[in-house]
Amino acid sequence: MRPVRACRGGKRRSAMRRQPREQQQSGRVLPGAVGALCRALPSRARPAPDTLRRARFDRPQASLDFWRLLYALLKQIHGGKWAESDAIGNQIRFVKSTLWYHGYGRPELYRLPSDGSAGSRELLLAFSWLLHRLSLLEQLLARNRVKTGDEASVCTCEDDLPNSQKGPTEIAPEYGPEDRVDVRYLQWLNGRLRFQWRSLHAQHQEQCKLLYKIHLFTSGSHMDKTLGHFSVTETDLIRQPGNYKQLLQLLESETMQLEAFLEWKQREPVYWQWMETVLDNMAEEGNPCESQDAHVERSGLPEVTSCCPWADSLTEHIGRLSRDLMTLRDQLQKLVMHRKAAWCEKVKTRKEELQKEGFPATARKIQESVELKLQDLTCLCAPRKNRAHGSCRLVLRSEHPVSKSGWGRSVSQEPVPAASAAEVIRELQMREASLGRELKQLREECRQRLDQIAEGLDGVICVSP
Amino acid sequence: MPAMPHSPLPLPLFSARPAPPRRSWQDHKERECRRAVRLWRRAERRSAPGKTGPGRAGATRPMLPAGCGRRVAAALLAALGEGAERRRELEQWAARSRALLQRWGSEEDEQLHPDPGSSDGQENRPSPKELEELELLNKALEKALKVRKSILKTPLEAQGATGEKSVGEGPPPKNAGEQQVPVPVEGVPESAKVRAVSKKPAAVKKPYQLRAPYRTDPDVKKLQRRAPARCVSQGPRTAGKSSSKGATCKQGRSHRTAISTSDRGACAAAEPQKTPVLCRSALNQQQSFSIGDSARGKNSVAAGRQLLDAGKKSCCSLGESSQNENPAVEGVLGGSTSPRTVTLQEKGCQLKLPHPYRKAYSRNSRAWERCHLCQTSADAAAARNRFIEKIQTTFCSPMPAFSPAEIEEELKVLQDVPSLLSQYVEAEPADYPTLQREYESLLTLEGLQTVVSQCLHKLQLLQTAVESQRRLRPDCAGDVGSCSPACVPLRGQTCASAGVLAVPLLCYSSFQELRDLFALKLQVSMLHQEIALQKVMMAELLPVLESRCYPEASAAQLYRATYTQLCEGGKRFPVLVRDELTD
Repeated sequence: MRPVRACRGGKRRSAMRRQPREQQQSGRVLPGAVGALCRALPSRARPAPDTLRRARFDRPQASLDFWRLLYALLKQIHGGKWAESDAIGNQIRFVKSTLWYHGYGRPELYRLPSDGSAGSRELLLAFSWLLHRLSLLEQLLARNRVKTGDEASVCTCEDDLPNSQKGPTEIAPEYGPEDRVDVRYLQWLNGRLRFQWRSLHAQHQEQCKLLYKIHLFTSGSHMDKTLGHFSVTETDLIRQPGNYKQLLQLLESETMQLEAFLEWKQREPVYWQWMETVLDNMAEEGNPCESQDAHVERSGLPEVTSCCPWADSLTEHIGRLSRDLMTLRDQLQKLVMHRKAAWCEKVKTRKEELQKEGFPATARKIQESVELKLQDLTCLCAPRKNRAHGSCRLVLRSEHPVSKSGWGRSVSQEPVPAASAAEVIRELQMREASLGRELKQLREECRQRLDQIAEGLDGVICVSP
Repeated sequence: MPAMPHSPLPLPLFSARPAPPRRSWQDHKERECRRAVRLWRRAERRSAPGKTGPGRAGATRPMLPAGCGRRVAAALLAALGEGAERRRELEQWAARSRALLQRWGSEEDEQLHPDPGSSDGQENRPSPKELEELELLNKALEKALKVRKSILKTPLEAQGATGEKSVGEGPPPKNAGEQQVPVPVEGVPESAKVRAVSKKPAAVKKPYQLRAPYRTDPDVKKLQRRAPARCVSQGPRTAGKSSSKGATCKQGRSHRTAISTSDRGACAAAEPQKTPVLCRSALNQQQSFSIGDSARGKNSVAAGRQLLDAGKKSCCSLGESSQNENPAVEGVLGGSTSPRTVTLQEKGCQLKLPHPYRKAYSRNSRAWERCHLCQTSADAAAARNRFIEKIQTTFCSPMPAFSPAEIEEELKVLQDVPSLLSQYVEAEPADYPTLQREYESLLTLEGLQTVVSQCLHKLQLLQTAVESQRRLRPDCAGDVGSCSPACVPLRGQTCASAGVLAVPLLCYSSFQELRDLFALKLQVSMLHQEIALQKVMMAELLPVLESRCYPEASAAQLYRATYTQLCEGGKRFPVLVRDELTD
């Protein structure tokens, strides 16, 4: 990393004068930290350490590289398809709005030119911010994990995603009046869809069966005692090891990446100190584009009326939830009022009797138990940080200690977080109930509107099934 | 059995007495319904077959305007495409796993033992009525099979004897194709469906899995046409194949032996009551995949071996081939002495991963563990926090309380709350045996009230944050009209598992649990899709009906179809009564 020192300019020297010891120290350690950081990034987006150094001096050559780097990293986190060759304008737009999405608020960044010709230092700052705020390295490592096990996702996040981009409007070109569609065709399609779901269900059930057997039959074989058994991939690997050379390579490169991460964690402090000086320098230099602020401010803060599908869809979502809750609130209000009145009445008439039975003590106990019950509920309503997400390796673990030799023992001392299927099932049931409710509501809404329409139909009476 | 949504049945429009006004109908819906059906039947009897009454939808077809019709069709097709993709993936995966379970010959034991444990509860979806129909259908299939079998047996056997190679080229022997690991997707999209369905042996005992009540679905038609043919071709072919020695191909063929032994009736003796209806040869074939279910595995091994021996006696040439085990497999399995016992089920616990993999794996998992335990030093945390704080002071102020990602996260938490809370409310009974219970209930309800207000307050905060974020959003104002898709990462952050560096595990303890898990996951995705489609259809179909921009003649038909689709999920039809006596 000699070039780093060689290129150090006057500004750097002045900084050194300010904090001579620290700077000298970081002069030795910093390249190591940056190197480890780069190696800990996924290979498909790995920057050269030089890019970061150049960006520190706001070199324009580095800015394109940096946009690309951020694009690649953020795309991996957001799970979209991407290629290095994507148009740079789109890449920059994507990065900007993703940063917005995560709450990055430096206006300077959003003002960077859309051809990517400048702003590498600004981008370096954003990158560092993401590094911490998103736990970028950790997330990328977890997300790109080499999967040797039988994976199952434990959350329903994918389902929440809107079905691809191809909205119905996009597909439908112009049609003449002759291109009318027989409604029975739609019904037929819908039937096919339902049939497909049934088939999928059957396929899933078979999948479970196969999985279970392979897990059961190989239990106790895995050298990793927390797992105990092989996955399909591993069993297949035994059968035809030749096919899995690539997997081995992937595992090895992942190991290197993990080791780089460990190294980074050791050397991390110096990087953050460095970032702080970068930020200070920028503040010292002042904002070169101060003069442009007036007109930029406008584009930074567009008019409220601007269309934003994201906000619209969230507003709709919030609206629906609020309506549901308000209905519930009204219902509860009535119920509580009613019950309370009845209760007061009873208490009044049976006051002495209750006193004799020691009701006040009982009441306290009841209060406590209700509090406990409601605590569970509030837990469910609060964000759960440690809630399982993403895909997990499926592990069969009999709850009854049937086999003493092997995996039964190591369960307690495992460092690995393990979700239990029962837990996930519970969450899924909740999700299912809530979605079912939503669907029912939508259908009810349709029924009302169709009833109205039916009234307008001449001489036809509709008897709903 | 629910009505069949595909059959474009003529509308049961008929003359009827003047009906009471609409509002009172809601109250007497059921009675009226019965009356309507009675009337309808009477009308049916009256009208001679073939004669189209004035109300009948003879010539007019219920057409939708092109734009909206196409859009709905496109949404449905997209959903179908997605499903097909999933099915293909699952199918490939299953083929690979099946191969694993078969390769080491465990089939000999198992196939003779159709595993009863697995057959119950598999079909928890279809109703008993549907199953009845299925039964009937399968009986018919069996008959067809018998007839064809007698015709086809000889030529196919001959073909099998000519050599193993030809098998792969013929019409793909789907269920016997355990070596062609990922079965290529061939032909028409529908065929994928057919194939996958018939490949579901372990999951469903009925070989063709004719579950869905869609007689008019062309897919099913195809299925019905094709299934018997396959079934026929399989029985004889496997018999033929097994007579060729396992040595001709790399992998051991011992399981074929078992298939043919069972063909010869051994299986029928073993488990006659378990599989009452189906054509046996095909069934056995199918069951070659359902290698014993856990619990009963061991028992069935012994019994199975007896049967196998019996089978061997009855055809010794086949017995020979079963001994001709694949040496490669033996090697891997660690030099077992008796080839016949080399099964994943029996030897699975003694398998060892290849050395290079073990090494790589241990290094890798050690590294993961170290990363998991690694903590940020106080030094680093301090420096980092200084930087983060400093940079955040340069953010434009005021920053909204929640970032868009956080808003979504919070909403995700709240999304199930209304349904959960109503469950709680509904769980509170109306009257109580004791005062204590009554008091408890009152307190609970009051507590729920508080939770509801808290949630409502939270939603308000979130809505405010959405509005301020809308203003901050970059680039949107620049683009004319709307956000370009490129600037919409939105709702894209799939599961942020921040900070937890570990290979996450999901532990399950029983087969049933695993099945429930998968079924529920599927159910949830299905509901998601249903809701999305419902919204599309609502937006497209309702305005058409409301604006009455359709030919008058097909109004009733269109109405009925829309009603079915939107209010009944395509499962049930309303009855339309034409009230003509008022003329």
